[in-house]
This record gives sequence, structure tokens and C-alpha cells, in this order.
Amino acid sequence: MDQLKTDIWEPVADEERDIEKIARPSVPLWKEITGQFFKRKPAVIGLVLVIFTILFAFAGPLFSEHRYDEQSLSYVSTAPLLSVYEIEGEYYYASSSFKLIKVSKDGVLGDVIRSKRDDGMNKRYVFDLDGVTYYLSYKNGATGLQDKETNMLPVKTVRNKSYPLGTDGLGRDILVRLMYGARISMTVAFVATLVTLVIGVIYGSISGYLGGTTDLVMMRIVDIISAIPLTMYVILIMVLFNNGGLISIIIALGSVYWVDMARVVRGEILSLKKREFVGAARTMGSSTGYILRKHLIPNALGPIIVTATMQIPSAIFTEAFMSFIGLGVSAPMASWGMMCNDALEMMRSAPYQLACPAIAICVAMFAFNFIGDGLRDAFDPQIRK
Amino acid sequence: MIHFLLKRAGMMVATLFVIMLITFSIMHAIPGGPYSAGKRLPEEIQAALDEKYHLNDPLYVQFFDYVGGILHLDLGPSFKYEGMSVNDLIAQGFPVSATLGVLAMLFTLAVSIPLGIIAALKHGKWQDTLIGFITTLGVTIPSFVVASLLEYFLAFRLGWFPIFGVDNLKGYVLPMIALSGYSLAFVTRLTRSSLVDVMRSDYIRTARVKGLSERQVVVRHGLRNSLIPVVTVLGPMFAGLLMGSFVVEKIFALPGMGRFFVQSITNRDYTAIMGFTLFYATVLVILVFVVDIIYCLIDPRIQLHLS
Repeated sequence: MDQLKTDIWEPVADEERDIEKIARPSVPLWKEITGQFFKRKPAVIGLVLVIFTILFAFAGPLFSEHRYDEQSLSYVSTAPLLSVYEIEGEYYYASSSFKLIKVSKDGVLGDVIRSKRDDGMNKRYVFDLDGVTYYLSYKNGATGLQDKETNMLPVKTVRNKSYPLGTDGLGRDILVRLMYGARISMTVAFVATLVTLVIGVIYGSISGYLGGTTDLVMMRIVDIISAIPLTMYVILIMVLFNNGGLISIIIALGSVYWVDMARVVRGEILSLKKREFVGAARTMGSSTGYILRKHLIPNALGPIIVTATMQIPSAIFTEAFMSFIGLGVSAPMASWGMMCNDALEMMRSAPYQLACPAIAICVAMFAFNFIGDGLRDAFDPQIRK
Repeated sequence: MIHFLLKRAGMMVATLFVIMLITFSIMHAIPGGPYSAGKRLPEEIQAALDEKYHLNDPLYVQFFDYVGGILHLDLGPSFKYEGMSVNDLIAQGFPVSATLGVLAMLFTLAVSIPLGIIAALKHGKWQDTLIGFITTLGVTIPSFVVASLLEYFLAFRLGWFPIFGVDNLKGYVLPMIALSGYSLAFVTRLTRSSLVDVMRSDYIRTARVKGLSERQVVVRHGLRNSLIPVVTVLGPMFAGLLMGSFVVEKIFALPGMGRFFVQSITNRDYTAIMGFTLFYATVLVILVFVVDIIYCLIDPRIQLHLS
């Protein structure tokens, strides 16, 4: 045997020694993901907003003096910013139903003063305040409180202390209804997503793992379901449950929106099941269920979480959409979509009634979208580097 | 190609069948029948009515009767609008909804594709960020919020457009914008990401090396390839626009199909709900099929792949 040549081996130069050195300590995956997640500003903002919304929804009503179904018919459609008239040191607010409401200096609504008569000829209501006559004119272009000589009184603006966001067309506090609406939205968002998660993961993993004809049939079913316009079926299911409230929305959403999740999970399982550790597990005699539970699904968790987060905003949207067209929770319960719908008729005289729920929906949708984007990026090794 | 189309057609028929089955079963699962409202009928009369309208037939017979009716394009009478059939309701509402849908689609394409191109060509620059921000807004703000805001500011405050109704074409402007919000953002994103991918590919480099002007590279080589994914979403998008028009029609009080549909839900007009659902579903499924054919025709690579 020839002697082994030794001159082909050379010691490594010092500066090349650290090529294989691990630059960073090894970090567990979840830590890595959360680290990446918190590096993204929009995602963190989204998370803060969601936490705030949840607190707003579930703790908020505890601090409110009003109830969501409590109507005070004397304070119908009062604005968050009251335009008041000062008469001899007292503030008066002209309500949309042409009554005067006494307002304290710091904006607390007080007694309602009815007009003495309607002077229809001159398009004004006549009021008598401590013996002095005032007119509340509703003439086009000259609405407002006038004194005896029909001079317009100056207007001051005071924050509405009794109802910080005003009242709706039935005299209910908008702020507290917003909180209850947030309850509905958050509950629907999380529970419906959980339902789609469970159905989708079970369906997708069985389909992906068993493969063959089972997979073919199961995926054909998914194809057919996703060809159906889902909103229509949510509507049909809601009609079937005859407006059963929250539960029926959740069932309707959950039973229809799982197909995306099933597809994602199936795709992941399909590629994971060919890996060595699955073969090893099977060699050791693990059952199919055990392999799915302990090996496959945990490894597919990233895409599952991302897909689930992405589904939350669409669940919120669908709930708002349903209650907007009159298929959501039933009155007097509040939901953001329903509040938008109620406010629509009052849009011209009371735009704030529409603005509040509309902003709430947008903020929630934004927050969850940002979280979803952040999670997707955090789970993506190419972006993560 | 033929094989592929046959397969898609088979899929379409299966889907429509399943849609009919689901709609039929859901509607039959709802307690009560057409005569259960109002006075209680004597049993003989009830039986006679059941006999007349075949309500005492076994369910599967009723189902096949129903399918037969649909094949003859007959969706049955409306429960609540007396003397109107569901066909009449659709015939009345569909032109308005379809006009709105087509306008919204044209608007979407006219705005979103240029935006997508700008974002892709200025990849990573401020234009890209700005357009990205706008599309996020478009995806997150629900159409009924956009519609209400537009109505409040442009129609009510500024008086530029009619507040409701479609007496002239101007009345379509605001509903069209409100309706296209989501799809606009969606198509912009799609165009952008697909063009960004295409511009990185080898044949773009080849085109540049040949000395083509940047304009020619983008329009002839980049754009034509990057618009293929956009074509595939057109079908579902149009159906989505039809669906989204429920709320927009409600807000702007347009006499379209969506309004009838929402009304039929409020009235619990079951035959109408069923008919509208089927109609929407069929439109969607057929559109997806048509888009599949177009997709095959415009992208030679798919035909190659199929053969």
C-alpha cells in the first residue's frame, strides 16, 4: 500500500477558523418568533390595539354608568360635542327633537324644557325661560336659538359629560354600546377562528396524511365548497337559525370558513410526512393519531397560526356585514355592524353616530391585519434571516 | 386542453348540484311551511294544498322537481311579493347590479393595474410604501363604511353627486367607488407582487441585454406575463362585487338585486332567498369556468403543460 500523502493536508489558517463558529447562541423557536414579532412596529401596534379593544370590551362596561339597552328618550341623539347657548349663566342645548336641555357648566345633561307652542307660521318653537321668551328657529339657513328680537344667540361648545360619545337615535349611550359591540366582535373573532382552526386542522391533516383516494375525495369536497360563494351560505345558515344571535353567527362562520385552513394544513402535512422523523416514529410503532398529534401538527404550527390570525379580520368583517344587513345579533344587543346600520338613517343630522362604530371596525381590522402580517414575517425564515 | 375543459365543466356541474342540494336542504330544515303563517287550515284543505303543490311527495322527489324547475329556469314564486316570481325580481334587479358590478370592475382595473405597476417599478421606494399603505386601507375598511363616508362627504356635504338613486350615470359614481374598494386594493397588491417577481426573471434580463428600452421591457415582457394572475381572479372578483353590492345598494338605495335580497332576508321570503342564492352561486361558478378558459387561451405555457 502506498504511503499516505501528507502534503495534501494543511492546517487551517487562523483567520478561517471561525467559519463554522456559531455566531449566535441557539434560541428556542418560540423565542425567536416572538423576538422577530416584537421587532416589527406595526405588529406591536396591532397587538397593543387588540389588547386595548379586549379590555375596552370586557372591562369597559364595569366603569360605565349606563347600560347598553338603557334608553333615555329625553336625550335622543345628543352629540359628543354639545353646541350650547348661554342664557343668564345657564347653558341650554337644543336637541334634535326641538327641546331645550339644561346643561351644567361641565357638560352634564339636566332637565328638559318643552316648548310652549310651535309657531309654525314663522317656523320656530316658542320657549319661556324664567319669564323671558326665546325662539328656537328651524327655518332653512337660520336654525338656532333666538332672543325676543330674533337675534341669534352665540353658540358655545361643551363636551358631553353624561354621554362622552353621545347617544343614538333611541337615546342609548354610544360608548357603552361600542363596548358591547366590541364584545361581540372579539368573541366572534376568536371563537369562530377557533372553530375553523379545529375543523380545518383535523380535516387537513387527515387528508394530507392518509393521501391517496381519501385525499382526492376530501380535497374535491374542499374544492366544491370553496367554489360556493361563502357569504351566501353564512346568510342561509343564519336564516336557518332564525337569528339565533351570537351562537348562530359562530356556527355559520365556523362551518363555512374552515376550507382555507384545511388546504394550508394539508399542504404542510404532505411535505412533512416524507421527513425522516416521521418514518422513525412509524418504525417505532407509533399510531397514526400519535404521529399526527405529536410530530406533524406541531411542526406545521407556524402556517396554522398565521392562517388563523389572517382569518380573524375576515370573521370580524363578516359579522359586521351580517349585522349590517340585519342578520346578526338581535336588538337591543349592540354590534358594530348593527350600530352602523342604525346610524345610517341619522347620517345627516348625527354623523358621529356612524363615525364611532365605523372607526371601531376599521381599528379592529387594522390591528388584526398588522398582527397577521407581523406573524407571517416572523415565521418566514427568508425574511427572518 | 379539451380534457382539462371537460374536467372543469364536470366540476362545475358537480358544484352546482351541491349548491342546489345544500340550498334545498337548508330551506327545508327551516321549521314551518308556506301555509303555517296566518290561520290554521283544516286538515283536508292542508292535505289538498299539499297534494296540489306536491308537498306530500318524498323529499328526494321534491328535490328533483325543484332541480327540474331550475333547469327550466324557473325559480318559483315569491312568498312575499304577491304576483311576482323570483325570476321577475331577478330580472328587475340584475341589470342595475350588473351595471354597477361591471363599472366597479372597470374602475378597479383602470386604477389598480397602474398603481400596481408603479409600486412594482418603484419597489422599496416611497411610492411603493405609499401605495402599500393605501392598499392596506382598502383591504381593512369595510365597504359599507366607505360607502357611508362617501355619501356623507361627497354627496351630502359637497353635493357633487346625487345622494341616492341612479337616474343618470352620475348616480353610479359613488356606489362604484365604494364597491371597488376591496378589489382595488387586492388587484393592486396582486399586480405589484407578480410584476416584482417577473422583473427578476431571466427573460427580462435577456430583454434588457438585447437593448430594448425600459418601456418596451416593462410593457411587452413584464406586464403581459404579470397580468396572468390578475386574469384568474377576475371571475371571483366580479361575483364578489355583485355580492358586495348588497350593502352599497342598500346605502345608496339603488333598485338592484342586492336590495331585493336583503329585503327577502328581512321578510323571510324563503323562495326568494333560495332563488337569489342559487343565482349568485351559478353566476360565480360560471364566471370561474369562463375565466379558466380565458386563462388557458392567453397563457401558452398552460396549454403546453396540459398537453
